[in-house]
Amino acid sequence: MAERSAATLSKGPRFQVSKGLLTVLVSTVALFILCAIVAPTSVAPGPLGSMIPFAAILAIVGLGQMLVIQQAGIDLSVPGSVSLAAVIVSALPEIEDSRLLPSVIIALVAAVAIGLFNGFLVGFLKLNPIIATLGTNSLLFGFVMLITQGIPRMTTQLLLKIVGGSTIGIPNSVFFAAAVLLGVIFILRKTVAGRRFESIGASAPVAMVSGLRIKTHQAMAYVWAQVLYSIAGIMIAGVISEPNGSMGSAYLLPSVAVVVLGGTSLLGGRGLPTATVIAAVFLSQLDQFVLALGVNFAIRTLVQAAALAIGVAIYTVDWSRVRSLLQKFLSTARRGEHQTSLPTA
Amino acid sequence: MAQNKSDNVVMELRGISKNYSGVPALTDVSLQIKAGEVHALLGENGAGKSTLMNVASGTVAPSKGDLLVHGERYDALTPALANKLGIAIVHQHPAVLNDLTVLENLQVALPNSVFRGRGPESVGAELLERVGLKISLNLRVEDLTIAQKHLLEIAKALATSPKILVLDEPTAALGQDSVEILFNLIANEIAKKTAVIYITHRLAEVRQLADIVTVLRDGLLRITSPIKKITDSELLAQIVGRELKSTFPPKRPEPSGVKPDLVVKNLSGNGFTDISIQAYPGQIIGIAGVIGNGQSQFLKALSGQAESSGSIEINGEIKSTRQLNGKAALMPADRQREGVMMRMSVRENSALSSLKKFKLFGLLSRRKEVDQVHETLSSLSIKAPSLEAPVSALSGGNQQKVVLARALLSDPVMVLADEPTQGVDVGARLELYDILRKASADGIPVVVASSDAKELEGLCDTVYVLSRGQVVKTLHDGENREEAMIEAAVTSTTKVIRMERQDREQKLGNETAAEKFRRFMRGDYAPPVMLAVVMLAVAAIILPRSSTYLGDFNIKSMLLLVSALAFVAIGQTTVMMTGGIDLSTGPLAGFLVVIASFYFTDESPLTAVLMGLVTMALVAALVGLINSSLIRYVKFTAIAATLTTYIAIGGFAFILRPEPGGLVSRAIADALKSTLGPIPYVFIAAAIAAVGMEYLLRKSRWGWSLRAVGSNEESARQIGINVNRSIIGAYVVSSLFVFLGSILLTVQLGIGDATQGVTYTLTGITAVVLGGTSLMGGRGTYIGTLMGSILLIQVLNATVFLDLDQKWQYWLQAGLILIAAIVYSVARTRKTRLNKA
Repeated sequence: MAERSAATLSKGPRFQVSKGLLTVLVSTVALFILCAIVAPTSVAPGPLGSMIPFAAILAIVGLGQMLVIQQAGIDLSVPGSVSLAAVIVSALPEIEDSRLLPSVIIALVAAVAIGLFNGFLVGFLKLNPIIATLGTNSLLFGFVMLITQGIPRMTTQLLLKIVGGSTIGIPNSVFFAAAVLLGVIFILRKTVAGRRFESIGASAPVAMVSGLRIKTHQAMAYVWAQVLYSIAGIMIAGVISEPNGSMGSAYLLPSVAVVVLGGTSLLGGRGLPTATVIAAVFLSQLDQFVLALGVNFAIRTLVQAAALAIGVAIYTVDWSRVRSLLQKFLSTARRGEHQTSLPTA
Repeated sequence: MAQNKSDNVVMELRGISKNYSGVPALTDVSLQIKAGEVHALLGENGAGKSTLMNVASGTVAPSKGDLLVHGERYDALTPALANKLGIAIVHQHPAVLNDLTVLENLQVALPNSVFRGRGPESVGAELLERVGLKISLNLRVEDLTIAQKHLLEIAKALATSPKILVLDEPTAALGQDSVEILFNLIANEIAKKTAVIYITHRLAEVRQLADIVTVLRDGLLRITSPIKKITDSELLAQIVGRELKSTFPPKRPEPSGVKPDLVVKNLSGNGFTDISIQAYPGQIIGIAGVIGNGQSQFLKALSGQAESSGSIEINGEIKSTRQLNGKAALMPADRQREGVMMRMSVRENSALSSLKKFKLFGLLSRRKEVDQVHETLSSLSIKAPSLEAPVSALSGGNQQKVVLARALLSDPVMVLADEPTQGVDVGARLELYDILRKASADGIPVVVASSDAKELEGLCDTVYVLSRGQVVKTLHDGENREEAMIEAAVTSTTKVIRMERQDREQKLGNETAAEKFRRFMRGDYAPPVMLAVVMLAVAAIILPRSSTYLGDFNIKSMLLLVSALAFVAIGQTTVMMTGGIDLSTGPLAGFLVVIASFYFTDESPLTAVLMGLVTMALVAALVGLINSSLIRYVKFTAIAATLTTYIAIGGFAFILRPEPGGLVSRAIADALKSTLGPIPYVFIAAAIAAVGMEYLLRKSRWGWSLRAVGSNEESARQIGINVNRSIIGAYVVSSLFVFLGSILLTVQLGIGDATQGVTYTLTGITAVVLGGTSLMGGRGTYIGTLMGSILLIQVLNATVFLDLDQKWQYWLQAGLILIAAIVYSVARTRKTRLNKA
């Protein structure tokens, strides 16, 4: 009996492409083709070069947000922590290259501390993540003010060179984003902790029955997220020569948007890192495209909202029902069309 | 009409069939219900009793057949129509709302006519009195015991003097004294010529109450008979009915001279007391009983996931809860929720508990994992498209094999199977039995709980029958016949174990001052009081340092800021009461300011101003409709929906005002800033709005429904609340309050600027949270929100007087929200602990 079914149970493919990844990948390719045809300037090396670092930064922030959202949380402390990291690595070294590394370490240590704080509030004190991270965000902006005193500082040349430069023709920021993406995928898929983390996101009740430490894993989501925001903040300080204290504010909504567009549910579940990163590219290029078309900021915003709405609807709407309704509608419409076209025939 | 013999018939179900995705739950069932009679409905779990009653009470529409009620024919009923026809149902799981008080639960579920004439309190007290429920009407239902919730449910059903009363296992959770009261009530109803349908598992109750009895089995009506003309054994035969269809693996006789490998002594926990069992190597232990008599809780405790007292000894070693958790493999009864991760693959599901085994140099080796999972699944002869297929694509039986594979792969110290074959087809059942028997033969103690007595008879060596959390019978091999189990379960007369906490809560009538204080701290009005204390403290700190703090100018400017924030926050409170959140409030406020800047200029006549107000209100209402439609009809989460409108509204604002422009008329600004003493009129308006909304929230059907929906959507639906309407209404109300706030914001800004307003989303949420409203829905106060708004502005204002710079503004804001959230959350947790004790 076992023999027979052993023959029928296939081990399955080594790699699988999720629906989210496929959707966002196809949309992104389509967008670039559209750009090339309608607004070629948006894919010229210049605009592309300026888009890529910001897409990379958004991708990293998005990955952090994804880790939290896949545990059915949400992290509103993105602006504070991104800003704080940017401010730490630009203000502390006082344009002295040799002091860059210590300041980077300080930024990362701070990130871990903030993450532990958030994780403790949400995972162990069971605060609502919206409230907890809203509070933390405010706290962080206080520290941003403490460091900057409200004055933007020049960043170090070294950081500009590392983050803003390029290697073999590819902007370095791409390497950073790729490294973070691979790191996230590696930890999620190849370590015991990562796999447990994914399972808890997919179903906390099942994980509970299996005896996993749910609180700890949920708290760790906030720690990892903070580390990624911090990396993104450091990169901002390497792309913009005089980062001010509110650089991070522009990343809160997009960070949630790319996660949702990538197909990770706001109710928790499996996180889709690759799709999240591609969604970041999509959103950034969409901006470029609308910009190249010469329309104003307002239209760009509306396009973003529409992209988000469609992106969410792809997953929430019961499309098979819509299709059957549409077919019913079309078949009656076609019949009508037939009748009107008869006289001309 | 020729009415002779049938004039007593108040309801007739004719040829009712109901299919759930092709699987028949009821087939061609016909039933006559007569006035003044108790009609008992008997049958095992899954026989179709509850489905039939859901048809009768309008929550389920039949696939075939129709109903006659008072001589009128209906294809199907709705809950509202059933209410109107005088059909009342006592649900097996009480449809009560935890976040509402006892009185509010009665008021929201019953028509106003019940309370007309006399005060609601006296009517409510009388309703409780009738079912012998001695609790305060102002108690939150959350603090009630399960039995008290059942009594409340019964009180609700009786309140409307129903013509037809359906009771679905009403005594399952009741103590003996309450059961007697209930039986007296039923007798009263019968005397009033009410027709009663009584669903139960207990034959003793049927004998005591019923005039007519009907037995359902496998969705078919087996027999309807006057109770006097049928014996217990005939009834039992009809309930059980079937022959042993499955073949079971051979059993293992109790070996001599061998020590038992599983000894459980005097285990007590939540839902069960004093259970002792033992098993010898190779034996399978069965736990029998009607569902919900403590079996699941007992298995949870054995698996180390629930606290228990007593001892568990495996192979001579005493194991603590901590040692068992994760080591004793539990196959939960609720497979869909607790058994498998639906969207994860077969491989990921199987490997979950044994990931550490697949490590190679510290990392997971895909090859090791795939090989071992494949080997185990193959040995269980699972049928799946592939290892990478999502578990949701598998049949129930194969999903259960995945759960079993997870258990076996983890090298468990014990296997605990709760209803292992529920929803599993016959072929797979046999295989599951074989696997369990084999695991047992390999030296792993196996405990199986099942409501299918036939299964336990065939599979188990020793069976313990549980009733109300206690072992009522131990049946060893040879005597563990199905009939014996069912008889033990249905004839048992055990009392519900009185738990300690019940006594504690019974005292509520004459509680001590300390207890009163604790209850107040858990109540809705503790946060506003705490906020008031903090406000006074802040003022006390500043007063000695500043002479202008309480000056007219400062009070006025503070209260103007408070008013705008309070209106926005009052709107947000409404949405949060339903368990939602509205992120679009800030951008909407900004957008409305932009619109206002076109109408509120110096040149505009009064008509233009009015036009502007109407336009703003319409836009606000439209945004509320879009938000709620996305949530209710397109199934967006509240965050996704309002985030989308958040972004879009910002875009529209920039279309209208790419650059700031449109100076607001001086006259309008002065009018809105005018004061009564130092107090602006608009602040008085905001305060009146908060108090008015608070009144509606507590005293109107709208308010009860709003909180009911936030508290428990499913229960709210069952008691006939239109959930969609409540939620859509909440978002529209939220947007309209933003509209009121935006008028004040317009005056404060003085110019149309598309970049302004967005911050109001987060400050609004902060004010609501400070006020103690829960983001989970169901509880909160508008008064608290108003106080939260005042405190927030007061603290920001304080930084000016205390000469603190901007960082302190941030830190104080953070401190406020975090401390408030922690304090309120701690106040709530203490309560949960109390419930557990």
